[in-house]
Amino acid sequence: MANLSEYEPLVGKGIIDQLRRLAERLGPRTLVHVNSTRVGGGVAELLRGVLPLWDQLGITSRWEVIQGDQTFFEITKAMHNALQGRKVPLSATMLNHYLEVNRENARRFDWEGDFVVVNDPQPAYLIQEMRSRGKCWIWRCHIDVSRPERQVWRFLKDAVSQYDASIFSMANFSQSLPHPQFLIYPSIDPLSDKNRDLSPEEIQAVLDRLGVERDKPIILQVSRFDSFKDPLGVIQAFRLVRRQTPCKLVLAGGEATDDPEGPRIFAEVQEAAQGEPDIQLLLLPPDSHYEINALQRAADIIVQKSVREGFGLTVTEAMWKGKPVIGGAAGGIVMQLRNYSTGFLVHTPEGCAFRIRYLLHHPELARRLGQKAREFVGRHFLMTRNLRDYLTLMILCQKPGGRVVELDAPDPECRAHEPLIDPPGAGS
Amino acid sequence: MIAVADQPAENPFWFWECFLVPMPTGKKATNLRELLQGLREMEESVLQFHLWQSRLATIQPTIEYPNDFALWAAAALHDERLAEKLSSIDPFAYENLGQIREALVDLLEEYLWDISHNPAVEPGFEFHFCEAAAAHMRSGMVARTLNEFSAGLREVGLDSVYFHVIEAQWRLGVRKLDDFSHWLDHNFTLPELVSAIRDIDIYFYTLEEVRETILALIEQHAGESRGESE
Repeated sequence: MANLSEYEPLVGKGIIDQLRRLAERLGPRTLVHVNSTRVGGGVAELLRGVLPLWDQLGITSRWEVIQGDQTFFEITKAMHNALQGRKVPLSATMLNHYLEVNRENARRFDWEGDFVVVNDPQPAYLIQEMRSRGKCWIWRCHIDVSRPERQVWRFLKDAVSQYDASIFSMANFSQSLPHPQFLIYPSIDPLSDKNRDLSPEEIQAVLDRLGVERDKPIILQVSRFDSFKDPLGVIQAFRLVRRQTPCKLVLAGGEATDDPEGPRIFAEVQEAAQGEPDIQLLLLPPDSHYEINALQRAADIIVQKSVREGFGLTVTEAMWKGKPVIGGAAGGIVMQLRNYSTGFLVHTPEGCAFRIRYLLHHPELARRLGQKAREFVGRHFLMTRNLRDYLTLMILCQKPGGRVVELDAPDPECRAHEPLIDPPGAGS
Repeated sequence: MIAVADQPAENPFWFWECFLVPMPTGKKATNLRELLQGLREMEESVLQFHLWQSRLATIQPTIEYPNDFALWAAAALHDERLAEKLSSIDPFAYENLGQIREALVDLLEEYLWDISHNPAVEPGFEFHFCEAAAAHMRSGMVARTLNEFSAGLREVGLDSVYFHVIEAQWRLGVRKLDDFSHWLDHNFTLPELVSAIRDIDIYFYTLEEVRETILALIEQHAGESRGESE
């Protein structure tokens, strides 16, 4: 279990002190997180890491998981896909079953909380039965709902509209809702197996186990074998680079099991890589966090040539490891990578090849980009920033209506910087 | 004789912290006309966010374009000409947000008039109008002398630099007036330092550069004063 002070060497004492001060201003509160699974998936991973930290900040937190039968999870999976824009038929019977499972869970739950954060659509309708058990209800949406299927969104919106606030991971996921919407970027845990520092021996051991040799510069893409991640485009780019510059390509990731196109894409990737000894395909189990960490740290250049992307946490992870990253100009990658500053954005396999070659021939620039990228992630996308945003949001939710909350009165001995006029929204 | 950098101030300076959470409005522009319409109709808080608050929300290591509108024109519309024009609207050169809105609307109207078509973006590159909510809190850091002030400024987060330099201009209601120079002006006799800080063209500086520039100015001016007193 991570201790808040363990983050100090990574983010600085100032950030940890800031969190403690904010928590102090918020006061002792109870916070309930609700989601649909305790294992697997990014949300569970995030909650597991963050829960002990809340307690260390004086916020009594608990993590509740809704229970459901297989049919319920098939329905919520379909709902998830529909919210991400796929045409998925959801019958009235299915929606009724979904509602009934939410009601059953509400009857089973006995908790109360000052703040209730309900993650994603699965438990969204709990609010219908449990409104009075929480003072402030927040719906936290982790998925890309930028172009949801209309019927499913309308159904979900009836529940979401009852919340006091909602949180989205990107501005383009936000919706027309009758309450304040907040933007909290996803974050990574720098102490997790996927991101913690590894010794050269640890890295080498993983490479030996996976059969990856370091005889040439390594270009790596970590992603599901999914057409949106454009693995074929990466192979095309690699072949263009290889004409002039020796290097090897590692494509590591899992098959997109929930994507009907998954096996077809993987077969196409295998075919494209055939006869090329410097391309290695690694099909890894979903919990290979440690192995991914080692591969990222061993790589010389990391590519994420997505053509469609949510936030792009694999880019964040690569940047945190101080690597030069080349990303497709899509979704959250555009916000994370700026040319010649924190990485490179590309639009085509040719562009990707050009930037790979450029970086291989400019190691000093590659090093500088990696360094800036790490600083950028350290400032914005670590778990400590996530805690700070939640604390701020809870403070703001306690004062609905005002967009600016002054947590301290100006010191009487210090008149110089006291506001001469009320900031907008204050004191109303 | 006490060197100016060690002279006690009449009032100490408390560094404040500023926690900003962006708030998407759920409204977006898919082309330049929709951006123009948004600029005409949106709350001033939306303008505020895209002109300078987003600089704290996502602190980029360098500033290529100084506001979100210019950035969108370059990155989403692929129109660097428009991006350059939008970059030239310096919010700190205007008295209020109404004037800035007028300038932006005027610029886009004229631009659209000249090009006589309506540039649009690919799906996924829309402009999403946001505003922000903020909590302000006193940090644990206080300065009673210029030396302590420099040490504090070196240590505080960039949110504090933002709060005292950028946000202050709107809070205090006077352009070119920031908390730092205000405090220096009222507690020391360093008029040149005060005006040098007020002359920093903050629109084109990252927050880190603002911090470094102020520290260098203090070093330069307090150093000179120290030399004179010895």
